[in-house]
Amino acid sequence: MIVAKLIDTTLCIGCKACEVACQEWNDQEYTMGTFDGSYQTKPELEANFWNLIKFNEVEKDGATSWLMSKYQCMHCADAGCLAACPAPGAIVPLANGTIDFVHENCIGCGYCITGCPFDVPRLNSTTKKAYKCTLCSDRTAVGLEPACIKTCPTNCLTFGERDELLRMAETRTVELKADGFADAGIYNPQGVGGTNVLYVLKHASEPEQYGLPKDPVIPWTVSLWKGPIKWMGMLMFWGTIFGAFFHFVIYGPQDPEKHGHPRDAEEEPSEKP
Amino acid sequence: MKNLEMEIRIPRFDAYERVMHWMAALSFFYATLTGLALWSPKLYWIATVLGGGYHVRGSHPWVGVVFAVVMGVMARRWAAGMRLDADDRVWLTRMHKYATHDHAALPPSGQFNAGQKMLFWTQMAATLALFVSGFVLWFPEWMPRSLRLLSIAAHPLAAIGSITSILVHVYMGTAAVPHSMRAMLRGYVVQDWARFHHPKWYKTWRASNDV
Repeated sequence: MIVAKLIDTTLCIGCKACEVACQEWNDQEYTMGTFDGSYQTKPELEANFWNLIKFNEVEKDGATSWLMSKYQCMHCADAGCLAACPAPGAIVPLANGTIDFVHENCIGCGYCITGCPFDVPRLNSTTKKAYKCTLCSDRTAVGLEPACIKTCPTNCLTFGERDELLRMAETRTVELKADGFADAGIYNPQGVGGTNVLYVLKHASEPEQYGLPKDPVIPWTVSLWKGPIKWMGMLMFWGTIFGAFFHFVIYGPQDPEKHGHPRDAEEEPSEKP
Repeated sequence: MKNLEMEIRIPRFDAYERVMHWMAALSFFYATLTGLALWSPKLYWIATVLGGGYHVRGSHPWVGVVFAVVMGVMARRWAAGMRLDADDRVWLTRMHKYATHDHAALPPSGQFNAGQKMLFWTQMAATLALFVSGFVLWFPEWMPRSLRLLSIAAHPLAAIGSITSILVHVYMGTAAVPHSMRAMLRGYVVQDWARFHHPKWYKTWRASNDV
């Protein structure tokens, strides 16, 4: 069974209880951020801050409005962090769809940050390892819902079976459209095979307004490295090794006594083409 | 070759060049092994053997810096002598003659033949690419995403070019050209060898040494 989170952004009131719950459950030390005139707790995710409510201030129809979004790991079906990770066992896709980081296997290269189309993982400068939302895998494993879900006071957040949540999201979209939000829809980007964090957006055709990429995919340079470059490299390495070996078998070493001398620079000038 | 004791020894690489070369070789060897380990999960066992992935992630960039610095020293020492002359350009068009031991068809080489010169420039270009892209990958949290995305593909590409040409270099320096290893280990070659492989260089040596 694939589990997921559904985030109905239209119901978020920006209380940030989910941020607190995340910090508490995961026993994170809070580090002071920078105040930049926004209601947002921090400008960005941090290695010890995995769940950020973004207060996206957007001008719509002459009025400023907040398009709330919950910024965290999207738990992609086709995860870019996993594609880029060079350390086997450091990033593990669980059977329930969670992408979990196993820190004893993490080597701290930070490739997951580069591979992630949502720019989510962060390196801890002390432990030199990468961190992000675990979908509370230590809670879901024993049948509990993630901490952020548990604490949400407005039912903006729902946890459950993915297919069920998609049906709920459809129903909610229909409601929103009936309320006059013609552009309402679900954010479930197919470029990464769909995500296990789903959003209901009022302005689904403009996810950028929520700080969400429009069409996220695994970066093509990562795919290039993991695909053609790897094949080309293996071909060239083995080709050269076998080529050298068979060159030796066929032609043997260079031997001045057998192979005739190059024209001696002393005797005659070299021939020009 | 005839009895070595009877031969006149021609100095080919001084101690400075030999140390320089082997420092480059050793750092390259380590960076290659650890790089391959991080390149493919199938080769990750190399990292395990060399102290674990976490350690390797820490050491690979530093050894890379050592390699890049030594290559800089090497460039200072050798770059001037690595320019291709007219003979070298002809040599390159007849490389297959070299591979098939038809040496009579080749123009004479100086201290380095055109193949060695190409290796030198390939390595210099690859080192520059590896150093720049490696530096970006070293500090992912400080580098712009676009540079990291570029480097994640550029670093292995440059490494493939570099490693492949070094594989050829190792073959040439060991099995394919007898006695060339002695030049880099002990620093000298004998007359016949010099005259056969590097006639123009040999001529210069002869001119200043009365034998």
